[in-house]
Amino acid sequence: MSFLCPRAFTPSKLSSLLSTRHASSTTTQCLRAHPPTSRLPILQKPPAHFRKISTTRPRLAKPTVEEAKARARRGPFSGRAALLFLVTGACMIAYFRLEKARMDRQRIAEATKGVGKPKIGGQFELVDQEGRRFTDEDLRGGYSLVYFGFTHCPDICPDELDKLSRIIDLVAPTRRHSISTSSFVSPTSPPAPLLPIFITCDPARDTPSVLKTYLAEFHPGIVGLTGTWQQIKDVCKKYRVYFSTPEGVKPGMDYLVDHSIYFYLMDPEGDFVEAIGRQHTAEAAARIIVDHMGDWKK
Amino acid sequence: MGILSSSSSSPPSSKSGIDSPTPSPDGAFIAPSRQSRAVCYAARDRFFECLEKNGIIDSIKEKEKSEERCGMEEGELRRECVGSWVTYFKQRRVMEHNKKQTIEKLEKEGASVL
Repeated sequence: MSFLCPRAFTPSKLSSLLSTRHASSTTTQCLRAHPPTSRLPILQKPPAHFRKISTTRPRLAKPTVEEAKARARRGPFSGRAALLFLVTGACMIAYFRLEKARMDRQRIAEATKGVGKPKIGGQFELVDQEGRRFTDEDLRGGYSLVYFGFTHCPDICPDELDKLSRIIDLVAPTRRHSISTSSFVSPTSPPAPLLPIFITCDPARDTPSVLKTYLAEFHPGIVGLTGTWQQIKDVCKKYRVYFSTPEGVKPGMDYLVDHSIYFYLMDPEGDFVEAIGRQHTAEAAARIIVDHMGDWKK
Repeated sequence: MGILSSSSSSPPSSKSGIDSPTPSPDGAFIAPSRQSRAVCYAARDRFFECLEKNGIIDSIKEKEKSEERCGMEEGELRRECVGSWVTYFKQRRVMEHNKKQTIEKLEKEGASVL
């Protein structure tokens, strides 16, 4: 009987009762409100004074002033709603950031892709440091990182090649365990490793064996390419590399070569993706490369 | 920045050190090794230290002063590095100095890094 009783009170009265935490007082008042005569058959019309007590307030009734005040104080939020709001918001922000970064990379890749003939890169035919023929076809099927330089370069090329060595190790999937502390190694990288290419701008001095000796000091994975003066001039033009090497220099001559100092990241179809410059550290460069590799879906 | 490198040819010098190149199996001369580069850089750093002490920025323009004060260091630099590198290092020092000056000037004017 007593469990029905609180419904007979207005909410404010109820809350005041509950707040006192006096179960006994509730029960006594309850008993007073429900005399034994309240057990009446349903069809029997209860007396007027009794009906008032037993009638429950309809759910959609206008809230009492106290109730409205309480709600206004709290606002429409409960603790659970606030938590749900925060969690959903955080998830959305994280997702949007991720998606924005992906879109940015895609935009860079798409913007430089070009229609038809690629704007940077293209066909070439050169020889590697073992004297084997090497063409643009050999770049297909995986990402490659193309660098132009020359072996008699005073300081920038050796610095950049040391950076390249580090990039290779950071990106190489086979050696991932050795850099487990680096968080950027994406598990979605394609299995084809990054192919590092060094193309000389100084073909007169950089013969295959000179390249072989030179590159061996940096990383065993680097493919060094050379060719005739004309072949090198052509490939430099295709990669938009400034080429100033004079034609017909004599062996043993001491000269320097001006050249652009970017790494060109090329996708598995041989299209240019992004240029990596001096301002990028090996870690930043590796991250850019791994991210692009992760985006590749073809 | 970005596209940057070096000066072009300077006449072949007759100094010793890495300037007497080793021919490779196919006839061309092999490039300076990591070891010889390190030796050359060390000589360059000693030369620059001397220039710094004597307040010389451009050792090509201030050739006489440079030879008088840092002649020994320069001789060493020429022994350890090929001639084209020596010229390049000297020019690069001036370029780096100008770059630093420009950046400082711009920063004073309230420019910020993009």
